[in-house]
Amino acid sequence: MSGIPATSAKTRVPLPPVGAKVVTTACEYCPVACGYKAFIWPVGLEGEPTAEGNALGADFPTGPLSGRWPSPNMHTEVTIDGQLQNVLIMPDPDADVVNNGGNHSVRGGTLALKLYRPDGPTRDRLQHPLLRVNGTLQPISWDMATDIIATMIRHTVDTYGELAMGFKHYSYEFFENTFAITKLAYGAIGTPNVAPHHNTGHGTDTPGLDDTGVDSFSAGYADYAEADAIMIVGTDPYETKTVAFTQWIAPGGATLVQMDPRKTFTAAYAEKNGGVHLQVTPGTDAWAIGAIARYILEQGWEDAGFIADHVVNTRAEIDEDGSWRRRIWGRTVDEFRAAYLAEDDYRLADAARITGVPEEKLVKAAEILAKPVNGQPPKASLLYEKGLYWTHNYENTAALGNLSVLIGARGKPGRATSRMGGHQRGGASGASYPMDKSPTEFQGNKVEMDCDRWVVEGKTRMVWSIGNDWVNGSGASQYLRRRLHAMTRDTDPQISTSVPEAVISQLQQRLAAGGMFVVQSDIYLNDNSEFADLVLPAATWGESDFTRNNAERRLRLYGKIMDAPGEAKPDWQAVQMVAQKMGFEGFDWADTNEIFVESGPRAGGRKDYSKFVEWAVAEGLRPHDVLREYGTTGIQTPVKIEGNTPVGTVRMHAEMDFKGPGGKSNFVHVDLQAIRDRNDLLGPNSDEFWVLTGRVNHLWQSLYDDLRKPHLIQRYPVSFLEISPEDARRLGVVSGDMVAVESDRVRTQDLGTSQGAITAVAYVTDQVAPGQVFAMFHYPGSPANAVVTGDAASTPQNPRQPFKFGRGRVTRIGSTDLADRMPFAPRNLA
Amino acid sequence: MTTRREFLAWGTAAGAAAASGVIIPIAMSIDDDAPSGDGGSGGGDLPRGDATVVPALVTTYPPVKIGSVSALRSGDEVAFNYPTESSPAALFKLGRPAAGGIGPDRDIVAFNTDCTHMGCPLAGGFNVEHGILGPCGCHFTTFDLTHRGMVVIGQATENLPQILLDIDGDDILAVGTIGIVYGFRDNLLDAELVEGI
Repeated sequence: MSGIPATSAKTRVPLPPVGAKVVTTACEYCPVACGYKAFIWPVGLEGEPTAEGNALGADFPTGPLSGRWPSPNMHTEVTIDGQLQNVLIMPDPDADVVNNGGNHSVRGGTLALKLYRPDGPTRDRLQHPLLRVNGTLQPISWDMATDIIATMIRHTVDTYGELAMGFKHYSYEFFENTFAITKLAYGAIGTPNVAPHHNTGHGTDTPGLDDTGVDSFSAGYADYAEADAIMIVGTDPYETKTVAFTQWIAPGGATLVQMDPRKTFTAAYAEKNGGVHLQVTPGTDAWAIGAIARYILEQGWEDAGFIADHVVNTRAEIDEDGSWRRRIWGRTVDEFRAAYLAEDDYRLADAARITGVPEEKLVKAAEILAKPVNGQPPKASLLYEKGLYWTHNYENTAALGNLSVLIGARGKPGRATSRMGGHQRGGASGASYPMDKSPTEFQGNKVEMDCDRWVVEGKTRMVWSIGNDWVNGSGASQYLRRRLHAMTRDTDPQISTSVPEAVISQLQQRLAAGGMFVVQSDIYLNDNSEFADLVLPAATWGESDFTRNNAERRLRLYGKIMDAPGEAKPDWQAVQMVAQKMGFEGFDWADTNEIFVESGPRAGGRKDYSKFVEWAVAEGLRPHDVLREYGTTGIQTPVKIEGNTPVGTVRMHAEMDFKGPGGKSNFVHVDLQAIRDRNDLLGPNSDEFWVLTGRVNHLWQSLYDDLRKPHLIQRYPVSFLEISPEDARRLGVVSGDMVAVESDRVRTQDLGTSQGAITAVAYVTDQVAPGQVFAMFHYPGSPANAVVTGDAASTPQNPRQPFKFGRGRVTRIGSTDLADRMPFAPRNLA
Repeated sequence: MTTRREFLAWGTAAGAAAASGVIIPIAMSIDDDAPSGDGGSGGGDLPRGDATVVPALVTTYPPVKIGSVSALRSGDEVAFNYPTESSPAALFKLGRPAAGGIGPDRDIVAFNTDCTHMGCPLAGGFNVEHGILGPCGCHFTTFDLTHRGMVVIGQATENLPQILLDIDGDDILAVGTIGIVYGFRDNLLDAELVEGI
């Protein structure tokens, strides 16, 4: 097949007429969550090309940066209430927060293509519950499906205990759904065997930084713009948090210190604009950060006023703290100073040797972040993501936390330390995590359960997997796949009937034989469906009113655009039906607003909307309706009530109210030996590449929508492997060749080793250094996670799979035609 | 008077294949012929996808001379307006074969030069070493001129609209477009057409 790649099949886009229905929402995808408006009007009608004649208020053709050009891929036609309607989903041109003026990324800019239409690529949306009978998934009724689930959960808990009942669910797909799910799992059932989409158990991703007393999402985007200097660690914000970069960081003009093993776009941008790229050897971040901190100490550039007023310097305060982690790793000012000045590895020459970053670049980074200008310290912020915390989870976040305390980067305008976010923040707590039931301990302290390990060890008998791609999203993904397959499809009996009692009997026999029953809730079938005996069709973004926060804690209503197809229901309704059939009380909500109201009193910390809900209810208002009026602006949590008006929080800790002893910040210990040991255990040997993994500009999570968006998937029709020109030459590989990445040293969930292998198209680029390759973590079918460790016990104080530890050999498979139809030009030209 | 003919051109069955994670390739070869723009046989030779494809539309107009083969040197970017006086475009001589390229080296292409992200001008941003246009000065999108204006990296929700070319002797003729130009609801509406369309 050959032809011309189109990005849309249109030569004309109809303009919304004046009076078109408008639904406000925010983007489904990355953590920035740009504000969007959906314009809805009947097919056949069209607005005029004048500002008075269309709902966009724009004269056509529109000029640059108008924010009012309806790109063809922002438009679709769907059936709403039986009538064919135009739907134009545009970044809100009137937005004055987040994506001011209609800025957007390629991900959100193609939201319209997500909507269900029976004549397009979304036609394979799930529409009915499915039961696997004699090997194939066949439609059944909701009543029968939820009967089976309710009965089987009860059987599993009664026969094998709560820990045998597992949940694997998105942590963010709207407050209302996650509230319902956790209320059932933690509360009604009482199991700690609950893992979020992205890791093996409940818990923080940034423990070291948390232990310095700062919230991990403390910054507002205003801080990005106000900073004089920003250090970005372990993420490329242009690619994966686009508008945070294009709307706030780049226009704000901060000098950038970009720390990343890869020379990505943002690294090139930093170098081009007076900043510096610290191209660290993977696994050595703590030395680079430590050397910068020590140099700042040696120069006397630390924020002495902040340290004097807001940092713990009494050992007893730490020893008496309520947190066992802080009692172990917390350090006073004097202890920190002594430790850093005594650590020879933090001397510039030593750190340069260990990290591969030249001394002068470490010095330049220290100068950018802390050298006083006209006697004043620069306003410096520290932003970070998974490249930092998914190698050496505790130690790396501790190292950055120490730098943050040292330069006072917290709580003040332009001076923040904050995650940039991987996804949006839609996790609500319907009940408390039952820590006392967790079987996992560290030095006598209960820590969150390592659920994937429990699964592969055969101790989990039933899992309800909701809205995630479990296997591809996990380390040692192919080992997990084999274990799941063994416990489901390969453990008899298989379901051979659609008589409910017989189905339940067969499933119970399978559990008794050491097998497992998996229920999957999702919007499409995916790579996990092969393990599911029962599949529930879910409603998604745009098919119900939902709420969620973005990475600057901005709470907004995501309005309903259309009904879900067929019998698909939002996940909270599936939870409700199951909970009620199990006899649990407190699941009788009529709509998502009722769940949101109930969730209010349990909303705390950075997501605290409790007072907002309380206020709205006292005013006789539905909180969802108030949020609808707030439109794409929303309100930043925590929300206070001043006078009788809800007021949001631009940045946290603005009152210098930290979470350490006495409301202060504190330093923490960075255990370099633990890092060395982990690098030895999980890092590549001399025959292997370090397989770096991450997200890619065009692609979102498991590609559940991207696979169905021609403009996106034609860019990356298969997974790709970035390889350096030097290594490519050595292996005889050119861009467009198919290559294999294989490892027989994949650390598994149960601490063994296994084999993993993926194929990908080679993308020869200087983005990666020799000895390293990069692949998308989650490309369906060939996720880099197949050669990534699944060993969460390697970070024992906080079980996390360290997803940046991938290793493997690379071999050439052969040539393809991909170079003819997929760009291989550099992606890192600033 | 405008003559417009629209052709099914290509497609993908991505959605249908998604459950297994297998993507049906979306084809685009640099060996493809650009549709002839003589107003006669046109794009009728373009391949068609099967029933599952998402079709693309190619629009052709009467030929308009926009340059000469003999005047172009590798690395040249020559601006013109097309198909309206408000639609900035440029001819590029890439020095390497390109999808839709014409001339003896199949390396002459033309594209609209307003970024399909938010309309900032890309003109003057030709990078001959890599055959790309960009990064855009506003939000850094880069387009691949050898691959139909596909996005290399960036935020544009459409490829850069390619201007279909044909050759008559030494004359380079613009004969149509693929995709909608930034700012327009239809490439031929709301602005003055260039002479000859």
